[in-house]
Amino acid sequence: MPKVIKTTINVEGRVSEKFAIVEGVELPPWGENEELGIVGYPTPRIDGAARVSGEARYTYDVQLNGMVYARMVRAKAVSAMIGRVDVAKAKAVRGVLEIMTPENAPEIKMGSDQTHLLSSEVRFAGQPIAVVVALDPYVAADAAALIEVHYEERPFVADPEAALAEDAVKVQANKPNNLLNGKPRIKERGDIQAGFAEAEVVAEVRVTTPTALHNAFETHGCVAHWEGDQLTIYESTQHAFGVREFAAKKLELPLSKVRAVGTYMGGGFGAKFPGNAYTIIAATLAKRLRRPVHLMYDREGENLEAGNRGRTIQRVKLGAKRDGTLTAIEYNGISEGGAAMSWIPMLEGPASMMYRCPNFRSETTGVLTNLGPMAAFRAPGFVEGMVGLEAAMDELAAKVDMDPLELRRKNIPDTDQLDDKPFSSFPVAECYRRGAAAIGWERRNQRDQATAAQSNGRYRRGIGMSSQIWWGGGGPPAYAEMLLNSDGTATVMTGTQDLGTGTRTILAQVAAEELGLPLEHVNVTVGDTLQGPFGPGSGGSITTGSMTPAVRSAANDLRNNLCDIVAQMRDVPQEEIEIRGGVIYRRDEELASVKDVMGKLGDVMLTGTGSRGPNPDDVSVVTSGVQFAEVEVDTVTGQVKVLKIVAAHDSGRIMNPQTFNSQIYGGIIQGLGLALTEQRVVDTGRGAVLNPNLEFYKVPTVADVPEIENILIDIPDVKANSTGAKGAGEPGIIPTAAAIANAVANALGVRIADLPITPGRVLEALERESS
Amino acid sequence: MQPFIHIDIASAEEVIPLLDARTRPLAGGTDMLPLMKEGIVAPERLINLKRATNLRYIRVADDGLHIGALTTLDDLERHPDVRRDYTALAQASALAASPQLRNMATIGGNILQQVRCWYYRGDFHCWLKGGDLCHARDGRNEYHAIVEQSPCVAVYPSDPPAALIALDARLRIIGPQGERLVSVAEFLQPPTAQRRSLHGLGPNELIIEVHVPKSAAPAQRSIYLKAMDRATWAYALVSVAVTAEVAADVLRNVRIVVGAVANTPMRATTAEALIEGQSLTEELIREAGRAAVADAAPLEHNGYKLPLTRNLVGQALRDLRGSSS
Amino acid sequence: MIEHGPQKTAIMLDVNGLTQYVEIEPRRTLLDTLRIDLGLTGAKLVCNMGNCGACTVLVDGVAVYSCLTLAIECEGKRITTIEGLSEEGSLHPLQQAFVQHDALQCGFCTPGQVLAAHALLERNPQPTEAEVVEGMSGNLCRCGAYRGIVEAVLTAAKEQAVTSKPGSGKTA
Repeated sequence: MPKVIKTTINVEGRVSEKFAIVEGVELPPWGENEELGIVGYPTPRIDGAARVSGEARYTYDVQLNGMVYARMVRAKAVSAMIGRVDVAKAKAVRGVLEIMTPENAPEIKMGSDQTHLLSSEVRFAGQPIAVVVALDPYVAADAAALIEVHYEERPFVADPEAALAEDAVKVQANKPNNLLNGKPRIKERGDIQAGFAEAEVVAEVRVTTPTALHNAFETHGCVAHWEGDQLTIYESTQHAFGVREFAAKKLELPLSKVRAVGTYMGGGFGAKFPGNAYTIIAATLAKRLRRPVHLMYDREGENLEAGNRGRTIQRVKLGAKRDGTLTAIEYNGISEGGAAMSWIPMLEGPASMMYRCPNFRSETTGVLTNLGPMAAFRAPGFVEGMVGLEAAMDELAAKVDMDPLELRRKNIPDTDQLDDKPFSSFPVAECYRRGAAAIGWERRNQRDQATAAQSNGRYRRGIGMSSQIWWGGGGPPAYAEMLLNSDGTATVMTGTQDLGTGTRTILAQVAAEELGLPLEHVNVTVGDTLQGPFGPGSGGSITTGSMTPAVRSAANDLRNNLCDIVAQMRDVPQEEIEIRGGVIYRRDEELASVKDVMGKLGDVMLTGTGSRGPNPDDVSVVTSGVQFAEVEVDTVTGQVKVLKIVAAHDSGRIMNPQTFNSQIYGGIIQGLGLALTEQRVVDTGRGAVLNPNLEFYKVPTVADVPEIENILIDIPDVKANSTGAKGAGEPGIIPTAAAIANAVANALGVRIADLPITPGRVLEALERESS
Repeated sequence: MQPFIHIDIASAEEVIPLLDARTRPLAGGTDMLPLMKEGIVAPERLINLKRATNLRYIRVADDGLHIGALTTLDDLERHPDVRRDYTALAQASALAASPQLRNMATIGGNILQQVRCWYYRGDFHCWLKGGDLCHARDGRNEYHAIVEQSPCVAVYPSDPPAALIALDARLRIIGPQGERLVSVAEFLQPPTAQRRSLHGLGPNELIIEVHVPKSAAPAQRSIYLKAMDRATWAYALVSVAVTAEVAADVLRNVRIVVGAVANTPMRATTAEALIEGQSLTEELIREAGRAAVADAAPLEHNGYKLPLTRNLVGQALRDLRGSSS
Repeated sequence: MIEHGPQKTAIMLDVNGLTQYVEIEPRRTLLDTLRIDLGLTGAKLVCNMGNCGACTVLVDGVAVYSCLTLAIECEGKRITTIEGLSEEGSLHPLQQAFVQHDALQCGFCTPGQVLAAHALLERNPQPTEAEVVEGMSGNLCRCGAYRGIVEAVLTAAKEQAVTSKPGSGKTA
């Protein structure tokens, strides 16, 4: 019997109350010591073969009969009104079918500031201003180059600090200033002034983090295909159902006529949520031309327009007692949002949550500039904010002459300081203990005495650390269906998606575990709104915590149905029936295999449905952890080499250690990039991004990757949900850059406050030291 | 990329009559194709040299090393004689780009590689492309020159040529007037108002061979060091090639070439003279490093190249000194 | 002297042991020919400028970036794509090792990684870890599956050694 419930959902710090419909009885959670046979064991991903063989079809790979290729034409001006767009020459190119410009684009409003599908107001270089469709991508590019755009250019501002000035050029003309919402976001608890008055020691730092580009290897884009009045959108997306809803709404179609498909996608990292004009553009063009339209961004367009982690400028001030007890935290952060911004990343999140402190105040400012817009990027705000907080914690440790890890241990919070609720589970002390042992933390303090002796050598080593906090418990609504086929194999169907995180595999594990089938008898379809019920968007590390309970619930429903059938067929009491390894038992007596039972029934199909139950009201569900970094700085070249990262993260029950490790490694490597090599380079005077490519935007190579030891904490969070599992997508990246920056500071004896810590910055710091 | 006519030829000699400003040779393609994709060059005809198999060879002869212009960087880094006797060249080849690019890129093409300046490669009609202004001068110039040689402040990007200059290599170039020999040091030139390119190759000329003379001295050693801002697969922030005869801690006939600090790889002649024949002390090494940047004047964002050049020159000398056996 | 273009011209390619005919302009890259004209979408277009490695294929056994290779220059050469690596539906040992070591996440760079690894092992069947890192350094992975990739290549090398020398395989 479906029940309507209301529950609180937290995605990346944005809390909302949601209605959800929950079916059936909420299963009791698997206990801490539950004996499981499939869940929790290292399991190669079930779609591995498809991904290593080239058979996995990504959106970019979709090829349909009669399909044609669209190419975005992007603004060269930084800020301008578009006058005439001359397409005559482009139209004359043989093979060009259609050109969409602001003049002939349909009047559909997009985004938070309600610009048109193709706006005639340019707010950053790289903004789409026209779309060419041709029989071949080369022809589309030829034609795009022939389009002449007449701009009425305007002044612009491309530097976040300059954009804050009172007389700064307005990025959005209708706003009073360049601040999102007109003013900073202020958060307070306790009495910040009293907190500093109480403090015996104050530490303050200023740090900056660069604009980082997601550079998912598959760019943004979609393929739109009409069959009669039915629209199918293939899109590289983190939320298939969201694409369906967005397309239906903007195109005024019934949801039942729209299908969104994103079965394989080449990385998202937060930037691939629905709401993108290209979806509607492709659908519109496909309808006009009566042909499927393939519209994928190129790398430059991706890096100019499709999102970024904005540059931050942060000041963190800590007050503490001599014994290290924090009395006050004051946080001030500026986050660059580019030309469009609808929310401010929670830069103050770590400072407000990570350590116990009764007196807290933060000001977080989102500032607009005439550059490509920001988008969520893997733990938005927390990665950046942790760099500031943990730099300040290390400075404080030095001032109170305390071991930095000891200082953190002393300030472990007892509750979630955002809502005063106790944590459902918060084993950060355990993470500290095991992580510190693995890195050999005690060497850091011995090194302090040895620094003088070492300082003449070419290489200097250092060790640093950073804590981690984040959400990741997930929540409703999330649904799954299961089919038991006549050969005894089972199919899990749900509209969630597998970004490469391993979702398919853990859902198969959960289904097999609950149903009593061998893993290889379970298949999973995801990422297709016609092949399963609603799954939430894969962001905020919510997929595991949302979907695994839903699938468990569907598998349980199916299992009950199967037991019911067997009870009727064999005339045995249902409660005595057990299913293990694909075999049905009455207590220990083998009755039949699932395959035989289903085979005997012929063309039947048993089904099960399931849903994610409500979140607990009385506790706060978070993930926590720590990373330690050991680095070696080459004083000749200025290059920082990360020698080792030790990670210890609580993500509740670990469903699949293999893909869990991969998630943590992946986060660490992106965090390493932010710390050392990655930055969008802007010529602010010209409003130009100089490295929208993979040549000068330097993502880490295999040779940049250190030894990584990921310690499995693996404590089921039994209060969080029925599988006790929480997400791992974002926790891994949160502490990495902060830990590396602290390790470099430890190695050099001075802090390099601006990330990335490039050879140039290291050499400049060494020059200052020697002069 | 603009459409073009593709021409296959069987030997290098067939190429010359075909070449002109609108007809360009294509070797490995690892620079030419990106330039064409960006629309920076748009030849009407491309002449594929790769079927001219007589240009891919490494010959060890009495007078030194003869390298066909189509020899790949991968061939160079793996060749045992190159590794032993012309170490800097093998090291510079191995430190360039990525394995796949080294499989494709030829030494001839590598010498002719265009600057990687992001203004030149981007949508800017900069001075080097025939415009009036070098945008990097007042823009972002962290990868740019610290020694001014022309209105353009882009640096010469390739690795092996710095080693070739240190090894006193020459190029065999063919053209309508026949063949000419030119040292790599003379061939690579800062651009001028009339010739907006970093080399002196005529539009109808072709590099066919690199000749590295054999040193008379059995104790001749060479080294190439490269600083990057990623562990691998990046252009040099600064690079240094040094050749010398090494006996104990004394270096003779020293040649020091610094890369990625100017429009061309630069000989550090003052530094060379300082250490020539001297017992190489730490103090002398530091002095040589300082001498190597004596004429340098960094731009707004590349001040770090001063200490980096000093350090890298010093490190190369230290490593060479340590290599005597 | 043979002249083609600038219009489309018919060429014959040997792809994964099969003869294929395509009509292409000389400017068409091997990558676009494979993906668009032959429907072999395993090789991926990511940077299109030789900066990432996702388009890696083998030409005469040598790993190259197909985004910087003209298709017209591949006539008469042996082209191997990821689709040609598995035999009769079963994964190549390298591919199996990639799955076993979880040497991938989103999988978009994986076909290029596998082929680069294949070329590496052809040339150096028993590489050290440092040689694997060097040999695989022309293939970026944005998801950061690098540790698994190195382990997978080392494992495949080890297994190759055991299977290619029957009877001599030592077990660890």
